[in-house]
Amino acid sequence: MRETTFTPNRLLVYLAVLLLAAAYLVPLLVVVLNSLRTSEEIAQTSMIGWPKQWAWGNYVIAWGDFCIAQTCAGIRPYMLNSALVTLPATLISTLLGSVAGYAVSLWRFRGDRWIYGVVALGIFLPQQMRLLPWTVVLRDLNLTNTLTGLVMIHTIQGLSFTTLFCRNYYVAIPQELIRAARIDGAGFYRVFWRIVLPLSPPILIVTVIWQFTHIWNEFLYGVTFTTGQQQPVTAALIALSASVADIPQHGVQSAAVMIAALPTLLVYLFGGRYFVRGLTAGAVK
Amino acid sequence: MNKITRRAMLASTTGLIAAPRLARAQAVKPRLTVISQWSAGSDGAAISALGKKFEEKGGTWQHSPVPGFTTEMMNKLRAQIMAGDPPACSQLKGPEIAAWSKIAATVNLDALVAAAGYEKVVAPDLARLHKPGGKWISLPLQIYSTNMLFLSKRAMDKAKADRIPVTWAEFNALAENMKAGGVTYPIANGGTRPDDGQKFEAALAGISPAAYRAGMMTLDETALKGPEVKAAFAQVRRIADWMDPNTAAQHYSINLPRFVAGDMGMMIQGGWAQGVLLNAGFKLDDFIIAPGPCDNGKPVFLLNADAFIFWQRKEPDLQAGQTLMAQLVMDPAIQTMYSQITGSIPVRTDVDLSGAGWSDGQRRTAAALKEAVAANQAVLSLAHNMAQENGMTAAIIDVLTEYVKNKAMTPDQGVARLSNAVEGAR
Amino acid sequence: MPAAARTDRRRPAVAAVRRLPEFLTIWVPLLLSAGHLISFALWTIWVSFTPSTLVPVSGWVGLRNYTAMVATRNWQIAFDNLLVFGSGFVLLSVLMGLLLAILLDQRIRGENVFRSIFLYPLAVSFVVTGTVWSWLLNPGIGIQKLVNGLGWTSFRFDWLIDREMAIWTIVIAAIWQSSGFAMALFLAGLRSVDPDLIKAAQIDGAGPIRMYRRVILPTLWPITVTVVVIQLQFAITTFDLVRALTGGGPGTATQLPALVVYDFMFQRGLLARGAAAAVLMLLILLAVLLPYAAWRYLQRRQSAHA
Repeated sequence: MRETTFTPNRLLVYLAVLLLAAAYLVPLLVVVLNSLRTSEEIAQTSMIGWPKQWAWGNYVIAWGDFCIAQTCAGIRPYMLNSALVTLPATLISTLLGSVAGYAVSLWRFRGDRWIYGVVALGIFLPQQMRLLPWTVVLRDLNLTNTLTGLVMIHTIQGLSFTTLFCRNYYVAIPQELIRAARIDGAGFYRVFWRIVLPLSPPILIVTVIWQFTHIWNEFLYGVTFTTGQQQPVTAALIALSASVADIPQHGVQSAAVMIAALPTLLVYLFGGRYFVRGLTAGAVK
Repeated sequence: MNKITRRAMLASTTGLIAAPRLARAQAVKPRLTVISQWSAGSDGAAISALGKKFEEKGGTWQHSPVPGFTTEMMNKLRAQIMAGDPPACSQLKGPEIAAWSKIAATVNLDALVAAAGYEKVVAPDLARLHKPGGKWISLPLQIYSTNMLFLSKRAMDKAKADRIPVTWAEFNALAENMKAGGVTYPIANGGTRPDDGQKFEAALAGISPAAYRAGMMTLDETALKGPEVKAAFAQVRRIADWMDPNTAAQHYSINLPRFVAGDMGMMIQGGWAQGVLLNAGFKLDDFIIAPGPCDNGKPVFLLNADAFIFWQRKEPDLQAGQTLMAQLVMDPAIQTMYSQITGSIPVRTDVDLSGAGWSDGQRRTAAALKEAVAANQAVLSLAHNMAQENGMTAAIIDVLTEYVKNKAMTPDQGVARLSNAVEGAR
Repeated sequence: MPAAARTDRRRPAVAAVRRLPEFLTIWVPLLLSAGHLISFALWTIWVSFTPSTLVPVSGWVGLRNYTAMVATRNWQIAFDNLLVFGSGFVLLSVLMGLLLAILLDQRIRGENVFRSIFLYPLAVSFVVTGTVWSWLLNPGIGIQKLVNGLGWTSFRFDWLIDREMAIWTIVIAAIWQSSGFAMALFLAGLRSVDPDLIKAAQIDGAGPIRMYRRVILPTLWPITVTVVVIQLQFAITTFDLVRALTGGGPGTATQLPALVVYDFMFQRGLLARGAAAAVLMLLILLAVLLPYAAWRYLQRRQSAHA
């Protein structure tokens, strides 16, 4: 336990933290306030302001009532779609990434450094370069406009991040542990199951949180590769704001944004401490 | 055993003979798969109403709105076409119709158009866009004008003005009077890319519709470097200087409260702004709508028209659906219903707008269209992708939007950059 | 030597079959990932040499798309902006993350709450971030208006509409969004510094500042590298955030390569030009990553020989 020697400056520290925290909270506050104002009030005054009347009804409309073309079911069905895509893709890509990370960092095999390099570099490949190729792939696999296709896309793309995270975590595990187990006759799976996996929860949580957030908030593929009632919630949110002949429905949209952001916010709220713990280098001493 | 088998065989044979006729009868039920960007607001309401009419006539309506704007819709359309599964009908407009018709097969609508006598009641410039290669493949549905002049009643009072400006000179004079009378910002336009495009095209078309045609629609080099274009840039500079700099790249709707209150004076917007104002809770008394300024005495009309294009499908029910949809789109009653919901005017020039469902703004717009067509001054809007394909439009608007935001850029520089951009994008 | 190994040596075929599941488990996901990355990159490179407009078509136009792209004003502005934005954002977000981590490491009360406050922006989608910050940074409705209203009427914070400064508004919004991740990594690093080293430094009489400089910050070096990599990735591929915040404006002042690629490929229906821009973007990236990779390679060689 490190002793703190900053006692005289503690007031300064608290002041700094409080100011920064307030600054970081302002955007959230703006959205929350907007979600409780009527769209008319926002249009007639300003995007930022205190509610004149509390429009709790915005949340009701956002959840179950507002219409996208002729379907008036709010964002509820789209939340379900997002969940159906995000949860499987997150879990599968995390699992595969941890196995792959273990394989390249601990188990080792010929060419592991090269293939890991390519996979990790994949995080830099921009979305735009992937949109049309995925169109072709989905067509050939007959998965156009299916949630399965979307899960597949996110899983395969997610492997870049999940392998990167897991591998960087596993390199801290001493090679002697693995070597000793192999000498004792343990194979690939046994080493993973008995030694690596029990040490993994911190990084698995980090990876799950990261993947969940990115897939849940993703918009481009969700809109292009699904249709109608199958779209994810990000698409529904855009539907609220894009209309040439109308003012954007800012009040209801803000409420919908809050509802849609709830899963990821909760994930960070409850997972935040594990997030930090999971990133602790040298977890194994 | 044999008897049963023979009876069974007989039964199955009759079944086989009856099946084709049954199948044919069932194949007639029209079905339509539609892609559009109209998922919300009055656009969404209008297309849903159209869908209801489709279903009333016995069809199955399968509309898949793509949230977002035109690019998202085109992405979806492109993905469907690449997957070999184009929708039976999709939204598309302007020269893009010709461009997209080259990448996937479309349906020849000549017979249906002839039967409805549609071609006679559509403005010729508009009709041309929907007949690339000489055959009708898409049908326009509604028309907006992009250069309507909106005037704030309260701002007019402050300027002690009683005349609606008709020429650009009168417009400029009114703006000065407004400023002198205490209107902080005489112009309430926004700063989005289409908005910047609208300012320029309204200026150029108002100064000289012929120069607009030559420069923006035909991309004639001499016209692009001509004095009218330079004068248009100068007019845009004046407009930009009268705007609130804080507008930045925002949508004009944030300026509406001040526009109505009289703190901002005028707006050059499309006819849809009337719907936006009313939906925001403002009243028809708060503002006046007039045609945009034009210097040669006759009204100039900058056209923006939405349309549906029909993609070739083999399924008989989709084909029946396409026929039904085409007939509906050309039907004056349907166009009336559609335009009354969205605030546009019908494509058909023979629709009577004196009924109760129409607003004065719409009547004035329709009258302006008629006059403009007669004077050959109905031109295609550049800012809304009617005059050029998306690539060329975007290149031109790059120059225009930079010009509006960069006060240091002179009209000469604007002209030079514009012709460079056009050459680069050819 | 273990019995299994001895048997395998004598019957290689059996060994291979026994190891097939392991082989597949290792190689299938990695090949799927690497395979799709390489093939998509190659596909984009191929398209950049074709005359494709709305959809990909075959054909060969040589370097025409590249020369056209490099001559396009939007690309030139985007390239310059990437240098400014990339370096500015990466540097500032690392510093901010470090600052937040150091502050939170002081064992203050309510650390959990503060940590959540700094982390939650990561949960927000880029579109929402860009939109909300476009309101906050707008001089007419946001921070400037608030401060002016409080009495300081000469305060100006109109970077959003200033063509020179607008790029920094993106930096602000991006730092708000992603510094939490940097903070989390640095905090983890700070918490894992070897206590023996600290004790030794304290025995040597080091004050808090020297402690940081000599012991703690050097330990954080590998984490800093990870943070820089992740933030660099964000800077290069960020698209939704910029589109929502400035739309590339005012005018074309905040164009960035990711926006140009999307704009040309999908909005303008100029697929091949957009693909050329995308390849150029990857080349810029290589120009940054290759020297780093070479340096790391040399480092490894050195430490192997040492």
